[in-house]
Order: sequence, then C-alpha cells, then structure tokens
Amino acid sequence: MKSSPLDILLIEDDENDVFFMRRAMTKASLAPPIHVAVNGQDALDYLRGAGKYADRATYRLPRCIFLDLKLPFVHGFEVLSWIRDQPALKSMPVLVLTSSPEEKDRQRALQLGAAAYLVKPATAQMLTEALQTLNENLSALSEREADYH
Amino acid sequence: MNRPDHANDAKPPLDRHALIQAHFLAAIVESSDDAIITKDLDGVITSWNKGAEKIFGYSASEVIGKAVAILIPPERENEEPNILSRLRRGECIDHYETVRRHKDGSLLDISLTVSPVRDADGIVIGASKVARDITQRKRVQAELLMARDQLARSNQELEHRVAERTASLQQAVTQMEEFSYSVSHDLRSPIRAMKGFALAALEDHGAQLNQEVRDYLDRIIRSGSRMERLIHDVLTYSRLARNEINLVPVAIDKLVPDIVQQYPAMQPPRAQIFVRHPLQPVIGHEPSLTQAISNLLANAVKFVRPGVTPAVNVWTEAQSAHVRLWIQDNGIGIKPEYQSRLFGMFERIHQDPGYDGTGIGLAIVRKSVERMGGCVGVNSDGEHGSSFWVELPASGKAQ
Repeated sequence: MKSSPLDILLIEDDENDVFFMRRAMTKASLAPPIHVAVNGQDALDYLRGAGKYADRATYRLPRCIFLDLKLPFVHGFEVLSWIRDQPALKSMPVLVLTSSPEEKDRQRALQLGAAAYLVKPATAQMLTEALQTLNENLSALSEREADYH
Repeated sequence: MNRPDHANDAKPPLDRHALIQAHFLAAIVESSDDAIITKDLDGVITSWNKGAEKIFGYSASEVIGKAVAILIPPERENEEPNILSRLRRGECIDHYETVRRHKDGSLLDISLTVSPVRDADGIVIGASKVARDITQRKRVQAELLMARDQLARSNQELEHRVAERTASLQQAVTQMEEFSYSVSHDLRSPIRAMKGFALAALEDHGAQLNQEVRDYLDRIIRSGSRMERLIHDVLTYSRLARNEINLVPVAIDKLVPDIVQQYPAMQPPRAQIFVRHPLQPVIGHEPSLTQAISNLLANAVKFVRPGVTPAVNVWTEAQSAHVRLWIQDNGIGIKPEYQSRLFGMFERIHQDPGYDGTGIGLAIVRKSVERMGGCVGVNSDGEHGSSFWVELPASGKAQ
C-alpha cells in the first residue's frame, strides 16, 4: 500500500482534526497527498474543479474521500448524496469520519453509499485497516472488471 | 259504520251503574294535570277541567262558550281552522307540539292531542282536546341542545389546544434532538482535541518531559475520557427519555448471555456470571432492556473489593403478571441510607477512584425500565454484595 499513489480529499472544518488525520497517516507510515476542503461547499467546488480548483494538475481528483458530517454550509450527508449523483464520481469511495457514534448517522451514511463509517479520533490502526479494506475491495473490483474484458 | 240498534230510540234513562261510571270518568278528567277541553265544530269551548285552569289561567266560567281562539297566539291563528277541518273529516291530531297563550299573555309550549267526539249516530259533533304543558320539557330540551353545542365547542377548543400542544411538543422534541446532535458533535470536538494533543505530546515528546509533566498530561487525558463518558451517558439518558418505544415480547434468556458475550470484563477469568436458565420472557423494548441489563451487569462486576473475582447470579422470578429479573453480586454493597439516592442523576455513592463512573448509569437503568412500564430496586445490607432487580410485565412468548 505504501507504494500506491493515493490522493485523499479530506473534507474537514476542524483544523485540529486535520492535524490528527495527518499525524495518524504518518504514524501508519502512509504518506498520501492530502487535499483539505474546509466546508461542504468547498468540497463540491473541489470535486467539480470549479474556481481555484480548475487546475487538475495541482488539485487532482482523489482516489478516496474522508468526509466529516457536521460541516458548515453544506452538511456531510448532502455532500455524500451529491457525490452519488455525479456519474463521474459514482464509484468514488467515501469514508465518513465523524465525531458522532449515533447508530442513526451510521445507518444513513451507509445507505447513502459510504464505504466506511469511522468515529473520530482518527488513529493509525483505524486508517490502516480502512484503507487496506478499501484497497482489497478496489482490487477485487478491478479484477472482476478485467474478467469481463 | 254500524249504527247501534237503539240509534233512533229516545235516550234511555241512565242506570245506576252508568251514573257511577260517568262520575268516575268526570273525576278522572277533573283530577288530570293535563288540560282536557271539549269544543264544538265551530271551535267554541264546551267544557274545561281543572288542569286547563292551571295551565291556561282561565277558570271554566271565563272560557266556556268562548272561541278556543283566545288560547291561540296571533301568529298561529291559521292552526285552528286547519284542526277543525281535520276533525270534521274524523281525523285525530296526535301529540302535535305547538304554542298557546296563557291568560296573562305568556306563551306556553304544549303537546296537543285532539280527537273527534261523535254523537250516538257516529256523527262528529265536537272535539276533545288534551293539552299537556311541555314548557319545562322544551326548556330542558333547549338547555340540552345548548349544553351539546357548548360541549361540541369545548371539544373543538380542546382538540385545537391538543393540536397546538402536540405541535409545540413536537417542536421541543426537534429542538432537543438538534441540541443532542450539537452536544454530540460540538462538545466532543474540543475534548477530543485536548486529549489528542496531550496524547501526542506524550507519544512524541514524552522522553524529553519530566515525570511531573507526564503526570499532568495523563490527568488531562483521563479527565477528557471522563468528560467523553459523561457526554455519552447524558446523550443515552436523553435519548431513552424521548425516543418512542415499541413494547414486544423479549427473550431475556438469550439476551443476557448475548450481553455477557460482548464484554470481556464480564467473562472468565475476570468475572463469573451464572445464569439460572430459563430466564422468563418479558414485555419490553429490547434496546432499552439491553442498555439496562448491560449497566447493571457492568456495575455488578465493577464494584468489588480488590482481589475479589466478581461472581454474579442472574435469575428470574414470576410475580403474578410480572417477571422480576435479579442480578446478585458479591461486591462491596450499598448501605441502606444511600439506596434512595442510588438511581438519581449524577449520584455516585463510592468516591474511591478505583470505582470510576459518571453517576448516570443507574439513572439510565431506571429511566429505561420505567419507559417500559416496569420498576427497579436494590436489596443490600452494605456489606455482603447487592441484589438489583428489574420488574417488567410477563410475556407468554418471546421473539
């Protein structure tokens, strides 16, 4: 996994949580480029390539998204629904990373197609396991797709 | 019509029996509370009993020979010709409710029955009128109608108020949910940061810090963890208090082992929980019951003297329509004087840091059991462990 280039879009408004995410990634010996969107609208702009995010060489489309739920302007669930409605982003893995341990939120996130529901704080072990599962699923998916061709 | 054989004969003299009969009938007429009046086909009054005097205020001498129209208010003067023409045709007027006028001019509600009076040849020669004063009845009816209207209006008002209250309650519940959501996210966030940075300082720079600083950081982390547990428990309590619950049969014989299975602290070698199967099913809400039993079992294995392995007995007792679930431990017990406070919010009986808790666990137990229509209690002498019980309606079957 260390060798695979993995751009991550972290949608998070709390700079402390951004710090803990980066730290946990480092602790897990993962060093993916992390782009941060600081609110829901910022995330939509990034994914659309709108405004300052038009330069895709700098702001690459991520391999996966870590999404907080309680975000200013556009709520995390709305961001998740929007992503699922975009044909180009339909298969984009979205991992919800939230402070809410509420079962109701977990159920809703999974219904909206979240690949995982993680409760903060992000830890090295949590990220390693989540990304490992994600990679396995993505590999299995590409193998299945290869079989069809 | 058959005519009597003696129709054309001269009137026979009344015999004694007939006389008695006639007096008897006259007495009945006189003593009646109803007005009994006779009139001829021109509407002229020919007899007038005491009841009529009482109801209409006229004495017999005042009205006999006068037109019955004196009793009829002007706005109803058309009624009499109509009644007379029906009588001439031999028809009866039965319980006709109308209005008549008293001597003093006041109006009376009456029920009128008018029957034709025939002569010996069967020819209608007049009419007998029985008038009953129904003013009182009409008044009661009117009052009843008013009361019914009033009731309908009150009902409507009440429904309106209930709808208003329900809406305001709904709004309060929504606000409460928003508040809880906010507590869940916004209060946790700075605590997570404090704990996280203290932990990062220890992990990344602990070697360069002296013992005192490391101890301070440890204290920050422990306080943060405690605050997180408090938030968790307060949210659990508020959720239990406001969520709607659906009561169904619950198989606690399966539920208790499932709970034990989830917590290593309730399993050997750390603890022994002995379940006396079968535990009888109850009517409850499984998530609330799981919460209550988990809290009680967690307490049972936590509050023991140092060096003692927790040993907990769990059994049920049938009590007529209820089932009492017992959880008996070998712990430090609760002195009787503290037991009344035990199930309150933020009540902690043991200050020893070894028995860490938020003081909300048993309040959660009580709230969840009460929401299911049950009750909770404890028996303990403060020395030889505690026996907590939960009583819920019994169920014949469990899902």
